[in-house]
Amino acid sequence: MAGDHGLNGPRFARAPVPWLLVAAPMAVLLVFFALPNALLLSTSFLRSEAQQLTDELTLENYGFLFSRSLYIGAFIRTFAVGVAVGLFDVLLGYPLAYFLVRTKSRFKGLLIALALAPLLASVVVRTYGWYIILNRFGVANDLLLGLGLIEERIAFMPSTPAIVVGLAHALLPYTVLTIMGSLNGINPNLELAAMSLGASRTRTFFHVVLPLCLPGIAGGFILSFSIAISAYATPAILGGPATQVMATAIYGFMTQLLDWSIGAALAMILIVCSLLLLYAAARFGARQAAL
Amino acid sequence: MTRSDRTKNSKFVGRRTLLKRAAGAGAFALGAPYVITARAQETLIVNTQGGEYQELVERVVIRPFEKKFGVKLVHDATGTASQDYAKIRAARGAPGFDVAGLLTPPEVILGVKEGLLEKVTEREVPNLKHLWDKTWSVIPGGSGAPHTLQYAALIYNKEKIERPRSWADYWEPQKKYGDKIKGHVINYNPANLLSVYALIHAAQLGNGGVDNMEPAWARLKAQKPHVGVVVTGSAEAVPHFENGQVWISPYWSGRSGYYISRGLPFEMLIPQEGVIGLFDVACVPVGAKNKKLAYEFLNYRLDKDVQREWALAYFTSPTRPDLTDLPKEFAASQIVTKEQMAKTQFPDSDVIGANRRDWTLKWQEIMA
Repeated sequence: MAGDHGLNGPRFARAPVPWLLVAAPMAVLLVFFALPNALLLSTSFLRSEAQQLTDELTLENYGFLFSRSLYIGAFIRTFAVGVAVGLFDVLLGYPLAYFLVRTKSRFKGLLIALALAPLLASVVVRTYGWYIILNRFGVANDLLLGLGLIEERIAFMPSTPAIVVGLAHALLPYTVLTIMGSLNGINPNLELAAMSLGASRTRTFFHVVLPLCLPGIAGGFILSFSIAISAYATPAILGGPATQVMATAIYGFMTQLLDWSIGAALAMILIVCSLLLLYAAARFGARQAAL
Repeated sequence: MTRSDRTKNSKFVGRRTLLKRAAGAGAFALGAPYVITARAQETLIVNTQGGEYQELVERVVIRPFEKKFGVKLVHDATGTASQDYAKIRAARGAPGFDVAGLLTPPEVILGVKEGLLEKVTEREVPNLKHLWDKTWSVIPGGSGAPHTLQYAALIYNKEKIERPRSWADYWEPQKKYGDKIKGHVINYNPANLLSVYALIHAAQLGNGGVDNMEPAWARLKAQKPHVGVVVTGSAEAVPHFENGQVWISPYWSGRSGYYISRGLPFEMLIPQEGVIGLFDVACVPVGAKNKKLAYEFLNYRLDKDVQREWALAYFTSPTRPDLTDLPKEFAASQIVTKEQMAKTQFPDSDVIGANRRDWTLKWQEIMA
């Protein structure tokens, strides 16, 4: 019976080994994710006085964050950066992934390796590459001045667009990988069948290929988005102290101002938003799979 | 069976031999933890300067200490003062290092309040008795060993602008330098104590101070259009000094001396309103594994010869007043005499700690 072999089957429910196998990662998740987050959640409801946590319960920490335009701005900036990075990476990554999957080149393996090579360098190193290009005395300004396109140096950074550029570059390989996985699952014969029935290449792409790889595109977007909204190093380097996102604000409260209750509240807001997003993505993925 | 038979027979173990071996094994078993502890005590983990100062601190302090005491010192060069204290707090006093070598007064005061720093008295660190009396009005007595004294100076690019005289020349640069200064002023996030001290000077220019920072915010707003660079860490500012973008800045006297001596076209000065001093303090977290050696390290850092060599190498002031034989030119820019010490301000770090979040928020709202 098919049901006997599934996770919901009676054999699975009775057998101890599968449960033991599941228990190990569950225990890891419980100890290293659920408990620390519970601790963080409880800290976010504690009052802090002169940098010291007290035992007094309060909602003031959340009230403080939601009543300051600075942190509302950081919240909006964080999600705007996430959306922009996700969109850029999908737009840039899709053609690249499509080419890498469909190419008949004998160097296909090498090309895939080159596309993913940026992952070999630390994100800090890659971000400092952008720092060298974008700062007032950087390559971009030198080039524009040399070409006579500008008369005065431009401050490309610190700025939100600089953060988007740095993160989009850093996260592009993840999106490419996700979309490639989806494209690889599409039978090329479906395209041939559509074209043999008279559909043009463009029509085939938009009516066959694109709908079939939508879960991959959504997955790539969600992956870039979720990493971007929690990124610290790139926003800290390219955004500077006056262009805050939530991760840099959390870091500031936790390690610079030593105000852990506000830092915990800010972290909880970020975690809850991320979990809601993952839930929405899971629902979207399930719906696509059902279709 | 004779005695000789017994000794020849390797399989046979006599009662006395058995007792001896049992006693030996027992002694080893009981002694083993102490043997291991004793060996572990030969290693001390110290969190202190890294980056461009790593070589300096290892040459002047760490290697000579290892040589003198015949121990191994592991140098943890990561983190700023507040990051190091965050580690101590997160680990409930056992952050993995035995000495927090570079805390500043706000973290020391917080550490004492939270009970995360070991009490240090003259019994453990005899050299504490040689320090400036004023030290104990800045940090709580018995909280640690202040080994370095410096101040937030004003520095300027002498190839670009004329010598400033007042903190007002930094906070209202257009009044002295006109439009040419636009984009060449640097400002720091209050997460860096340097920024806090500069803001206190801004408040004092308007008859305010740590208890009334309103005049500082007015000056920050006025200065903002002329600010070209905003950073958090002091080291982050260096490339902007080097590439000529920043012409005027508050900066730690130690770092200023270090970079100027390496060819940076800047000059350091004490503005007419005076400067605010800063102690770097070495403390022992309550969960440190090797407290005895940690105390030795603290005492060593306060040793007269070590203080002299460190001050000269790091361009800072010793924390004991009995070093009267420093080179005259060097001493003139340091805090080594009673008069210099009396002129140096040490604002209440307790008040700074209590208000730093709100000041940072205000700063961020203005600079965003």
